[in-house]
Amino acid sequence: MIDLFRSELLRSRSRRILPMMLVGGVLLIVVAMVIAGANSHKPTPAQIASADAAFKKQFARCMQGQFLGPGEQPPPGYATLQEFCTEAATPPVDAGLQFRDIALLLEHTSTFVVLLGVALAASLGGADWSAGTMTTLLTWEPRRIRVLLIRALVVSLLVAFVTLLLQGVLLGAFSLAVALRGTSLGAPPGLVGTAVLTGLRVSTVAVGFGLVALAIATIGRSTVAALGVLFGYLVLFEGVIAGLRPSIQDRLLVRAGGVIVSRQPIYDQSHESFSSLGPSSPLPVLLGLTEAWIVAAVYVVVLIALALFVFRARDVN
Amino acid sequence: MGVIELHGLRKEYRRIRGGRTVAVDGLDLEVPDGGVFGFLGPNGAGKTTTIRCVLGLVRPNAGHLTLLGADVSSGLAGVIGKVGSIVEQPALFPRFTGRRNLQILGRIHRVGRSTIDGVLERVRLSERADDAVRTYSLGMKQRLGIAAALLKDPSVLLLDEPANGLDPAGIVEVRELIRSLGAEGRTVFVSSHILSEVQQTADQVAIIARGRLVKAGPVNEVLAAGRARGLVVKLADLHAGARVLADAQIPAIVSGDTLSVDLPPDQAERVTRVLAARDLYLSELRADEIDLETVFLELTKDEGLGP
Repeated sequence: MIDLFRSELLRSRSRRILPMMLVGGVLLIVVAMVIAGANSHKPTPAQIASADAAFKKQFARCMQGQFLGPGEQPPPGYATLQEFCTEAATPPVDAGLQFRDIALLLEHTSTFVVLLGVALAASLGGADWSAGTMTTLLTWEPRRIRVLLIRALVVSLLVAFVTLLLQGVLLGAFSLAVALRGTSLGAPPGLVGTAVLTGLRVSTVAVGFGLVALAIATIGRSTVAALGVLFGYLVLFEGVIAGLRPSIQDRLLVRAGGVIVSRQPIYDQSHESFSSLGPSSPLPVLLGLTEAWIVAAVYVVVLIALALFVFRARDVN
Repeated sequence: MGVIELHGLRKEYRRIRGGRTVAVDGLDLEVPDGGVFGFLGPNGAGKTTTIRCVLGLVRPNAGHLTLLGADVSSGLAGVIGKVGSIVEQPALFPRFTGRRNLQILGRIHRVGRSTIDGVLERVRLSERADDAVRTYSLGMKQRLGIAAALLKDPSVLLLDEPANGLDPAGIVEVRELIRSLGAEGRTVFVSSHILSEVQQTADQVAIIARGRLVKAGPVNEVLAAGRARGLVVKLADLHAGARVLADAQIPAIVSGDTLSVDLPPDQAERVTRVLAARDLYLSELRADEIDLETVFLELTKDEGLGP
């Protein structure tokens, strides 16, 4: 088992896509941060003083409950009112790069990071079929269930490694750009921890989507099939379904991924009770954080199980 | 007990537009331990499907297969460490070096660096081992495939058309390699449609056509199954020689620049005596050795695959 794992790891990290993704990703981040830095400037002392005063005023208003409706609690994801207000009250600095946006930056780049994970996993899963090396591999290890499970483990580790590394580079580059051309004004304590947790959630979602891509690549025996089917399903099918029947969003993979990354539940916007129940009744949650984890896990487990069944049953010609 | 045993092996493939193609149709075969076993058949005869079944890549519809005494359907993993194989073209990662390809495979069975160097040396690829496989010639890829098959120091080798696409020099190299592997006591199961190759390397041979066994046994026995051997005679006046032999009740016909004499080789002395008595002297006399190709074509003729 360990030997097969080491072989799969060696095979996977020898593939060209890995350094290409890392180098390409780092270059993109550097270019983006140079552009962002060029369009930013450090705030003047007067701007800082004014923003600080405005921030304190906003924060105080928020703590008095003025940012929420009468009797309304802080939204899910915030344990206390203070935690909510720390994020809700923003210092009005028009300086461009602000360190307090760091977690938001990771959320906003999560789609790109997850797509990287999908592409990497689909490539690692489909390459053996297009090169014909699956035949060779199975003449060395004929236990197919073991082969696919080990492969899933290796793909998970590599997707996690690549996405964490790139997000780490993004955090570092952003911090450097902020230090040189931005401001850390209004950054709440524990922001770095929040950002790290966001990054971990993004990588976890990328691993989940990667496993789905691996499963489809194994079933379709092709990288292209995996990418085509996955993007067709996620972008077209789920997009159309979510548009036509919003109530079904609680079963869609993309929505679940979004909830996990942002920790913001999806509310049932179609619910007509808002006016009838009165403004004090919050919208019902369509997809909460726990449900989102369950939905994503079900997709991953079902598709990997299907891939195992198909891989075990089908002839390798 | 044979190293490879097939009993009633049957494999059908479903056609996309309905119906079924029978690739292997009730094949019985026993491959003895040690030496080179030639597995002959025309294209589409079911050779590759049979090898894939033996390696567990394809599940047969019926029949029982054992490899090194293990039931292929349940115990293959226990013996696969003693089995090296190439199925059709050696499938390797083209962008990796030859050495890296072997390292990736070798790790599965903890094959060390010295073993990798050893097999590269054996197939004479040491100098190109660190080049990408995509820069290799077909012959080099084939040799690398054989190197991969040898990594496990296997007692059984299944080589599917190992000389396919090779130039004459490459064919000779592969032939010598197969011979030496068989001489080491390994069982080398070689499938081919190049009959002369099998004739020059195999100790035993099986011929299949349309998924069925046509003939199996030692090469000499299979060769003898084709038709009776005769004699080939060369002399200055072929027509005079034919007349003289006919007068002596020895059937002979002019065939090109030789006489084909329908007499067993052990009666060659009669031919020389009859001709010499009429002042006709031979420049050549040899047994009309039937080659495997002729036997193959004759045997498969009944299956509707011959000429």
